[in-house]
Amino acid sequence: MTSSAVTTVTTEPRRGTGFLPRAEFQHLIDLLGEDGRTVIGPTVADGAIVYGEVRAVSDLPVGMGAEQSPGRYRLVDHHDERYFAYAVGPTSWKRFVFPPTLDLAESHRDEHGHVSFGPVHHEIPKLAFLGVRACELAALGIEDRVLLGGPYTDEDFRKRREHALIVAVQCAEPGGTCFCTSMGTGPGVRGGHDVLLVELADGFLVSSGSEEGAGIVARLGLSAATEDQLVEGSDQLVAARDRIGDPVATAGLHDRLLAKLDSPRWAEIADRCLACTNCTAVCPTCFCTSVSQRSDLDGRTAVTERRWDFCFTKGFSAVALGGNFRPRVQDRYRQWLTHKFATWIDQFGTSGCVGCGRCITWCPVGIDVREELNLIAPPPVLGTEAQVAAHAPRTSVFHVDAVRPETHDTVTLALSTPDGMDWSRLHGEFVMVSVPAIGSIPISISRRLPTGMELTVRAVGPASTFVTGLERGAEVGLSAPLGHGWPVEAAHDHDVVIVGGGMGFPPLRPIVDEILAHRASFGEVHIYHGARTPSDLLYKEELAAWASRGDLDVGVTVDRADTTWLGRVGVVTQLFDHARWDGSKAIAFVCGPERMIQATVSTLAARGITQDRIFISMERHMECGVGLCGHCQVGPFFVCKDGPVFSLAQLGDVFGREGI
Amino acid sequence: MTTEAPSFERSFRVEGITRVEGEGSLHLTVRDGEVTDARLRIFEAPRYFEQLVVGRHPDQVLDIVARICGICPEAYQMSAAGAFEAIFGVTVDPQVRALRRLLYAGEYIESHALHVYLLHAPDFLGYASAIDLAKDHRAVVEQGLALKKVGNELMAVVGGRSIHPVNVRVGGLYHVPTREELLAMRPALATALEQAKATLDFVAQFQAPPFERPVRLVSLRHPDEYPLFAGRLVSHDGTIDVPIGDWRTVFREEHHEGSNALHARTHAGETYQLGPSARVTIAAEQLHPVAREALARTGLADQIARNPFWSIAARGVELVHYCAEAIDIIDGYRRPAAPFVPWTPKAGAAGWGSEAPRGTCWHHWETDERGYVTRAQIVPPTSQNQGQIEADLRGFAPSVLELEHAEATRRLEQLIRSYDPCISCATHFLDVTIDRS
Amino acid sequence: MVRATSTPRPRLGVVKLASCDGCQLMLLNLEDALLSIAERIDIVEFPEATSHRSSGPYDVVLVEGAVSTPEQLETIHEVRREAKSLVTIGACATAGGIQAMRNWANHDAFRAAVYAHPEYVESLATAQPVSDYVKVDGELRGCPINGDQLLEFVAALLTGRRANLPDEAVCAACKRAGRVCVMVAQGIPCLGPVTMTGCGALCPGFDRGCYGCFGPREQANAASLGAQFVAMGQTPVEAGRLFAGFTGYAPPFRDVITELGGAPGIPAGHAPSPASTGTPSGGN
Repeated sequence: MTSSAVTTVTTEPRRGTGFLPRAEFQHLIDLLGEDGRTVIGPTVADGAIVYGEVRAVSDLPVGMGAEQSPGRYRLVDHHDERYFAYAVGPTSWKRFVFPPTLDLAESHRDEHGHVSFGPVHHEIPKLAFLGVRACELAALGIEDRVLLGGPYTDEDFRKRREHALIVAVQCAEPGGTCFCTSMGTGPGVRGGHDVLLVELADGFLVSSGSEEGAGIVARLGLSAATEDQLVEGSDQLVAARDRIGDPVATAGLHDRLLAKLDSPRWAEIADRCLACTNCTAVCPTCFCTSVSQRSDLDGRTAVTERRWDFCFTKGFSAVALGGNFRPRVQDRYRQWLTHKFATWIDQFGTSGCVGCGRCITWCPVGIDVREELNLIAPPPVLGTEAQVAAHAPRTSVFHVDAVRPETHDTVTLALSTPDGMDWSRLHGEFVMVSVPAIGSIPISISRRLPTGMELTVRAVGPASTFVTGLERGAEVGLSAPLGHGWPVEAAHDHDVVIVGGGMGFPPLRPIVDEILAHRASFGEVHIYHGARTPSDLLYKEELAAWASRGDLDVGVTVDRADTTWLGRVGVVTQLFDHARWDGSKAIAFVCGPERMIQATVSTLAARGITQDRIFISMERHMECGVGLCGHCQVGPFFVCKDGPVFSLAQLGDVFGREGI
Repeated sequence: MTTEAPSFERSFRVEGITRVEGEGSLHLTVRDGEVTDARLRIFEAPRYFEQLVVGRHPDQVLDIVARICGICPEAYQMSAAGAFEAIFGVTVDPQVRALRRLLYAGEYIESHALHVYLLHAPDFLGYASAIDLAKDHRAVVEQGLALKKVGNELMAVVGGRSIHPVNVRVGGLYHVPTREELLAMRPALATALEQAKATLDFVAQFQAPPFERPVRLVSLRHPDEYPLFAGRLVSHDGTIDVPIGDWRTVFREEHHEGSNALHARTHAGETYQLGPSARVTIAAEQLHPVAREALARTGLADQIARNPFWSIAARGVELVHYCAEAIDIIDGYRRPAAPFVPWTPKAGAAGWGSEAPRGTCWHHWETDERGYVTRAQIVPPTSQNQGQIEADLRGFAPSVLELEHAEATRRLEQLIRSYDPCISCATHFLDVTIDRS
Repeated sequence: MVRATSTPRPRLGVVKLASCDGCQLMLLNLEDALLSIAERIDIVEFPEATSHRSSGPYDVVLVEGAVSTPEQLETIHEVRREAKSLVTIGACATAGGIQAMRNWANHDAFRAAVYAHPEYVESLATAQPVSDYVKVDGELRGCPINGDQLLEFVAALLTGRRANLPDEAVCAACKRAGRVCVMVAQGIPCLGPVTMTGCGALCPGFDRGCYGCFGPREQANAASLGAQFVAMGQTPVEAGRLFAGFTGYAPPFRDVITELGGAPGIPAGHAPSPASTGTPSGGN
């Protein structure tokens, strides 16, 4: 998958290539099926060539192919003996290594409120994939990077991958929507397989790509392929490449595409786009998922189920209180296309597209990404290799040690874990709070404690309402702290400006704690908190205590006053619009509703704080918390993993853009 | 309406049966201890089905007419499909036809189990609902629910889902199940067959009010199979015996004040009874041997023909029949090569009927040269039974008039429920007023 | 430790307007759970299943059916007053149902065509979804509703969480289930791309196109799909009729029907707009 390989076609057969006569193909199927393996390969069903169980040659699409064009697929009978003379159909191997639905965990809550969490164990089937194309091998390689290459890994995927034997078949019959040549993934197979087949008129060239594959090939007991047979195979591949051509200009695609975020074309596509999710569902690399809980009638036992999710749905980018960061279809289509062809490269060092053409064929209205890319704008920029893997976070049981009401709908919970871990040493900005049968929500840490943490929670949805109703002694599930938090150390020897609007204030409180623990290391410290009404103000006593210290500048304001309120009224920026501090030496930390952040950022910029010294925390729809489910993406970033705290300089163009 | 010429009759089509599913009321007029008038009023909202289907493609029509009734969608689909196939001259593949019977068998099992256990048994045993019955006799209700579930599962396997299945099209089905999919149902059906026999034995012990009266029973009859969607339209006394499409030569519909349902009578103005009691009596010879034997064991055959309250036993017999027939169909199933026979549209008209669990559902359809619907008449079973229900109420009411009002009401409701008119009015049904002027 | 769980059983009512009874039947079709549900929920009004009656108050009331008669209009306002939470179930209550197809037609002519004595029949000029008249707190879509979704709704009600009812297209469920797109592979018109999932992508699994039981999903681009049907060879009226089913009165299906034609009894190219909404007594 390097750009230099884009136009290279492997025509050189491996040494040791054998020839399997067509009449003996059943022998290979039988060998693959040994050791308890199920052979999955092409078979005709419901008007298409799909992947299903293959026990005999007669299960294969003998003589069958398909015509493919945007929005259209029709089986055709070639009236010949070939088994693999077709371009990829609607199924991809993703289904077998990354199941559409998967039970992840089971949780319980007994009548005393005790909670427990445990994984669901799955029997991983041993499979042999028969008929894997070059583009599909590339897709599996991309999935490896996404799901195994980061700090958190999908262990179920890893096991399924390891349990699958891969028999690749060289492409000889590309379809009308293929563009692997442009994406540099085919048509020639360049590794990743155990066995490689090249289908000829009367049999198969067979070679191995791994030790396991070599063992199988050896047991076939083949005669060596003749020179003519090798030439026939390479000619086929060259012909296939020529038929595909180079339909998409990929040089500079990443930059060209990201430069066109405001193209009017997005809205034009949205006029046709059904947002039906077919393109993402048939894509062999799309990896986004959602989790939900199924519970029994009493909510005692729940199973957490993960399922494929798609960035074209409303729920995908929805957040609490009905908000949605990508309300329009044009926002969703842009997210999908720019992620696939541009920001994916920033995230994973490779394009997210392998050029298999499925999204074109299976779009019910025939939207053609080749055409759209060429119309809108751009060669994949390659990034770094994957990092060392760590396991996804486990849910631990925490006890509520204390409950302090903050407002009518908001409480601060002090939580600790009996497992003895020193939580204060774990970095991370937020935790996923899980309640069996109710749900799971991300909550920012509002204070670090030696044995746990404080969380300040407002009752908004069912899960947060449940959590705010917990009493001392109750149990909940918490993940380890996740995400990148505030770079407080970067503020050493600087002035600090902290601006928190509403529920944006709690995540900022650990900064104040840190400053107070090392007060001498910081310059002037300004703390500003705005709330809707006086009764919505948080941490009133603490704010008063901080203000009375003399070494902190504390300002508080409300949007709407009541009769008891003698303080400032107005938006939070009014607190420092005319303040006398010097922004050139300050670092700012800002958290609150998106609109408040935007207003604050422009006021801070006007006060002379540069973009690299303004840090904000972003709100997005989060499900997994570790960059695997895909929901919280903003441009090239996963908010949960790369954020939620970002500097404005880091966000660049992405900050404040509608629908991203 | 009786003054209107027969050719004008079509202008007052029934739009669909659901009109008996809503609230109803019964008004009895009693004079000198004699019931002089019994009037059943039904307040189901008019839904105009016969107009809604005009201009539609026949396959879309089959989906639409299913929505006349959520309890017996197959009755409407099968009657309409039969009419269209008669117009277009389509003969359905025998295996596909067997699958249609299997789907319909599922509807019978579901509908009858629902009616016997959840709606009618509480009447015989003195409860307000099956939920109340379950408090004292949980196992009984659970057996009924288990039977009902098998019916639903059968419909889901063949039709996609239990309510408004999606698989019937003109010429056959959209999709035929594999043999394995059907065989997977067999163990559940074997259990259901035993439960159905137990059901019949259970209800045979009930005490039915002694109410025997002469009545004309009407249903389809087919020489080779228990009547479902083919055969001739006959009466048990031999006075009616016409082809399935010729309903209009014997019967007609009337529109009464205070009702959104049209009522049907013979041309001579006589009432008649449709449903399980009629079928069990008329098609006794076509019952599955297992069902025939089960019926004989109860010794209730004569009672079923004369006493409307014993329809609960007739339902038990049909539960046994359809569990047994379903097993036979599955055992003999070979997956057909094609799920449907292609057809060529043409202009034409045909009547057709099928036996809904509660009686013959008769349709008449007319198409233009593209096969699109130009006119429809849908005669649901309950509108045909309504005249007989009123007649029975007149005959039965005097025996309960001396009871206190609540008990009298319960007895009258039980009689109405015997006809399984459609469940919402069948259960709570009645706001009974008795005018003792 | 956790808030008291021994709250009184919620009082549930089931109320029917113009409909086929299929959606409330689904409650009885939850055979495995029915008796457990009856232990946990106080079913105070459910004429299909019990002779006990109650006109309220209800914690939750499930409303089946469209508002299509003056009496139903009264009923729905009464029910709303008595219900803490009013949840509409099924295509009739949420979208008007099949009977709402008459909203494009002349009601008096319809009534006269079906009944010999139209003066005996009281009905409004239009059949409308419940939300056109009263505030609705939640909805279960479908024609009929789906049993699993109903069970999920009940579990969520009893557990105090939000019911997990996806808002995605039928296509999403269809592809998860591994089905082949009938529209792309067989040229069968399918409403799946614009229809809310909930049925488990039933029809494509039976080799036919979705006919829209669950109604339009959010952002349903029905105009684009209708144009695609025409591009595939349907006449505009045929394309419009595909939308004119059980949820056809819900926008934007409604707009496509008006645009392309396909409402009942209307010749090609002469489709009037549906009768105005919210004016129960206003005929056209």
